[in-house]
Amino acid sequence: MGILRDRKAFCVFLLPGLLFYILAVFYPIEESIRLSFMEWGGIGARKFVGLENYIHMFRDPVFYTAFVNNLIYLVIVVSMQLIIGLIFAVLLTYMTKHVALIKTLYYVPCIITTVAVTQLFRSMYATEPTGLINQIINVFGIRSISWLTNIKTVLAAVSLPEGWRFAGMYMVIFYAALISLDKEVMEAARVDGATDWQLLIKIKLPMIRQIILLTLTMCLTGALRGFDIPFLLTNGGPGNVSELMSTYMYKKAFSSNQYGYGSTLSVFIIIESILVVALLRAVMSEEKTLVKKKQHAGGQ
Amino acid sequence: MAKKKIGKIVFLIVICLFLAVQLYPVLWLFLASIKPTTELSAAPFALPKSPTLANYIKIFSDGKILGYMWNSFKITAVSIVLIVFLSATAGFAISKFRFKLTGRIYAFFTFGIMIPVQITLIPLFIFYSRMHILNTSFSLILPQVGFALPLSVMLFVSFYSFIPNELIESAIVDGCSPYRTFISIVFPLAKNTVITVASMHSIFIWNDFIFANTFISEQAAKTVALGLKDYVGAFGNVDWGATYAAIAVSILPPMIVYFALNKWVAEGMTAGAVKG
Repeated sequence: MGILRDRKAFCVFLLPGLLFYILAVFYPIEESIRLSFMEWGGIGARKFVGLENYIHMFRDPVFYTAFVNNLIYLVIVVSMQLIIGLIFAVLLTYMTKHVALIKTLYYVPCIITTVAVTQLFRSMYATEPTGLINQIINVFGIRSISWLTNIKTVLAAVSLPEGWRFAGMYMVIFYAALISLDKEVMEAARVDGATDWQLLIKIKLPMIRQIILLTLTMCLTGALRGFDIPFLLTNGGPGNVSELMSTYMYKKAFSSNQYGYGSTLSVFIIIESILVVALLRAVMSEEKTLVKKKQHAGGQ
Repeated sequence: MAKKKIGKIVFLIVICLFLAVQLYPVLWLFLASIKPTTELSAAPFALPKSPTLANYIKIFSDGKILGYMWNSFKITAVSIVLIVFLSATAGFAISKFRFKLTGRIYAFFTFGIMIPVQITLIPLFIFYSRMHILNTSFSLILPQVGFALPLSVMLFVSFYSFIPNELIESAIVDGCSPYRTFISIVFPLAKNTVITVASMHSIFIWNDFIFANTFISEQAAKTVALGLKDYVGAFGNVDWGATYAAIAVSILPPMIVYFALNKWVAEGMTAGAVKG
């Protein structure tokens, strides 16, 4: 809590940022909700259609495809980012030299524009000339696969780059959490004969639980809004096989000019994101009270 | 002892392998960009045998890429100034003024972190086309700044919480106005936060694809990320060399910012996760 009480100065400091934020973020949300009850093709009058767009959405088979795809995309991206990030963060804690350099280099993929990432992966997935991934599987005697047109592989192929891009970033976050742990606890456990593995599973990971949950929030909301790479690599194709919620929304609005229905899909994405975050926050606050109770019990 | 040594070697190999996976694509991109086209199609993943700058000369001779980069630069620079100014002041209001509302307003700002950027595309597109401001820098700056504010405000608020209230109080007692206090005492102290916010968002904004792809259609207004896509189209599957050169040039500025300021960039991105 601050100390200044000058009401006019408060407004002068707060209002420019607040107004900008409302105009750029909340005006669009309000408009999306309004449009989601309308039918509008971009020209002419908007027609109020009540819940028709929502009913249409729940009857739209592509919506369900996109929703399920988005879940699979989410599972692939989140598990890549968290598991790879965590494993390498743990490994890195055993390093003594060059840690800063390695951290810096692991980060590089997430500062490159998605357009470049997409081009990189497009050439790695390529069959003609044989891309890197096909060259590798050829070595093992497997024939080249056209990853981006094969309906069995395409969804994984559009998810992989996003997982790859941020794995290093999550590693840096976990590493920071791991090295900030209280060293005395580790020493005590070691004296009691705990192995490195026990130390990791029973002490270190439970101790960074909060951070893991927080990064999970970031990962999940990031994956729910996944757009650039799938859009650029396949644009949901072939057919709708790799369609995600956001690419479908984009298509409906900007290719088919169904701004009303597109907005309905937008509203669904917003609700989805808010629900996920709310759920995780509930889990986290429960954890916090649990920890507090335990500490309290321990103190007595 | 021998067992421990083997363990250590395996460990180093694993670390380096992951490093290779993370970096190889980027290194390969630079290598591919100095290969002649014939070599690219014959042996795309080998080291270049006869390195050439022809691809770079090609992309610079038509001058398009410089125009794209200039557009991206303009948008990034204006956005960064606005982001720093708006979040430093709003953060100050939230953190150092004693009003009941501040907690609520802070929660309102942090709420924005959950909102996916795509949902603004339809409403803003309609708004811009009605105002006839599609294809302007402003059309990109508005959402870029708006969506950067939640995290930036958070970073500033968390920094200001380390500035003791007594410092501000004594400045006020000495006759400083709140504005003076902010400009000559608080803001200069926030130098690190300013660098974090500016460097991190300059990378994000430079790299933006989705807003540019939606609001920009005129050739003259295209940004780098968009121009890159255009390049790929223009050269088709034939001239990958030029495409890679264009990509290499366009990712250079964020790389420079990152390697020069990586401590601050990493801090900002990490804070996003830990405080979100």
